[in-house]
Amino acid sequence: MTKVLLIEDDEETAQEIVGELVDRGYSVERSATGTEGLEMARAGAPDVLVVDRLLPGMDGLSVIERLRREQIRTPVLVLSALGEVDDRVRGLRSGGDDYLAKPFVLIELVARIEALLRRPSDTRATVLRVGPLELDLIDRSARRGARQIELLPRECRLLEYMMRREGQLVTRAMLFEDVWNYRFVPDSNLVDVHMGRLRHKVDATGEPPMILSQRGAGFVLRAPA
Amino acid sequence: MRLPDFARSTTFRSALSIAGVFAVSIAILFSFVYWRTAAYMTGRIDSLIVGESAVIASEPGPERLSLVDSRLKGDPRRIKAAGLFAPDGRRIAGNVETLPRGLTIGAAPGDTTVERLGPSGPERERVRAVARRTPDGEVLVIGRNIDELDEIAAIVERALALGIIPALILSIVAGAGLSLRAQRRIEQVTETTRRIVGGDLRERLPTRGVSGDPLDQLAEIVNSMLDEIERLIHEIAGVGDDIAHEVRTPLTRVRAVLERGREHATGVEELREVVDRAIGGLDKSLAIVTALLRIAEIEHGRRLAAFGTVDLASVVMEVAELYDPIAEDRGVALEIGDTAASKVSGDRDLLFEAIANLVDNAIKFTPAGGRVELDLSKHAGEVRLRVADTGPGISEGERDVVTRRFYRSDKSRQAQGVGLGLSLVAAIAKLHGFALHITTGPGCCIEIAAPEAG
Repeated sequence: MTKVLLIEDDEETAQEIVGELVDRGYSVERSATGTEGLEMARAGAPDVLVVDRLLPGMDGLSVIERLRREQIRTPVLVLSALGEVDDRVRGLRSGGDDYLAKPFVLIELVARIEALLRRPSDTRATVLRVGPLELDLIDRSARRGARQIELLPRECRLLEYMMRREGQLVTRAMLFEDVWNYRFVPDSNLVDVHMGRLRHKVDATGEPPMILSQRGAGFVLRAPA
Repeated sequence: MRLPDFARSTTFRSALSIAGVFAVSIAILFSFVYWRTAAYMTGRIDSLIVGESAVIASEPGPERLSLVDSRLKGDPRRIKAAGLFAPDGRRIAGNVETLPRGLTIGAAPGDTTVERLGPSGPERERVRAVARRTPDGEVLVIGRNIDELDEIAAIVERALALGIIPALILSIVAGAGLSLRAQRRIEQVTETTRRIVGGDLRERLPTRGVSGDPLDQLAEIVNSMLDEIERLIHEIAGVGDDIAHEVRTPLTRVRAVLERGREHATGVEELREVVDRAIGGLDKSLAIVTALLRIAEIEHGRRLAAFGTVDLASVVMEVAELYDPIAEDRGVALEIGDTAASKVSGDRDLLFEAIANLVDNAIKFTPAGGRVELDLSKHAGEVRLRVADTGPGISEGERDVVTRRFYRSDKSRQAQGVGLGLSLVAAIAKLHGFALHITTGPGCCIEIAAPEAG
């Protein structure tokens, strides 16, 4: 069972997160302070850490720095108040970790934890395959079975991102951050429109759908059953 | 006004000291006049007595005696003094009893006191005199009374006394008048400020409308500051109400949906649908709160650290690429005009967000078949980004209020969105020090003007 260590001082937030993760089959341990959390991270060998940025005693970022210095490479998801998203927090993404601004929707948290747990498939591969779908990253061409798919550059990147995370829920925010490299968008519907176009190309009429939208959460790409 | 207050006031004290300086300068002026007059008269007396003594001394003995006598006779005012003394100091002729002490024989004229015979016996008087030895050894003293000089001094003193007192009174009165007026204005200002502090924000400091008056200038600056404060307070108060209203609306809808669902839903599927609709409504409330926090974050300038040189043209292209499908879906043509490389100093993400919001708004408010134009131009070291649409536009009266939070034109009530887009754009422009111009022609045209970066 995947082990999650949650370091969060706010009782209510912690309960919600624990409840959601337990429902989804994770084993969750929780600590309310940075110092105790650090101990538990050292001793319990969790698979992923969810750390609130502001904690009594030692703050979240210091806990992570301490762990990294001790060569503990457990992936971390930092929870930060919107106003406290600064360069240090933003820098987490480039280090393979991630952050989420409060308030967030629980499904977003779950999707990000899963993304941290399942690192994208081999990045050196130049041809990605999911079921009948094939994407050649060198000449940027795609095929589904024998059918050739014409893709615009952005659609190509979008498809690549989805194919590397086969079977995994990707949220609109994740797409926007990773495919467009922007965090804030006036209308979350934008991603849907782009995804709609891509889906239209990938799933032609009569073909079993490969890109599925999950209501209120995001999208999943998987091979047709 | 009570006198002690008035007398303590700085203006009054400065008026008083100016009057003092004025008085001293008048006194100096009078002293100078006296000094010059006295010097002139002394000079005249000196040349007279020197000339006279030379003439008398050069005469032979008997002639000399008669000249001394005749000199004294023709002197109704008794201002002349003359004496002829034998070499042993004995008086030979004249009205001077003894050889005056302190008078050097043969020297220049000097002040001295002589003893002379008056009608009522010997009397002493101050004279200007010269002593000279005659060729036959006698000593001749010729003098002239200098009481005149004292009289002149007295006249000058009287004139000074008569002149300086009214002048002093006048300057004190004028100073006090000025001080009173300044005092009254300051009191008005204090009183008004007190009322403003007490909460009456519509009050303004009084001005006299005199150009160049420093107090007026200060009052005007304070007044414009008050205008800004009043505007901000109204805005904040308005925003508070608006936030409550805007968040309450979707929440009320969520409540209604849930209530109806509980009453009427018959199966799990239907309940699920109700829950989904409720989640949608809650998301909307959350989106409003998030957008508000985002604006606050930008307004507090927390992101200044991420500034760098940004090529607006590339940002414009990215925004266009992002919005192209949505514009197409709505039947709006998204057109890119001129996009010369235009470097400005700023935060790329924020500028993207601002332009995206402008385009988002433009597309939302433009009916199908319309057009949204995006272009960049350069004018005299300034980069101008323009987003123009063929939508209903913004009326003249709305131009100043559209950047306020939650302001939505009545025409746009139906359009979706939380009404925070332009506030966000305004906040981003303000953070960067860029100008935001909203013009209306047919449709709406919003322009961001930024200084070009080197």
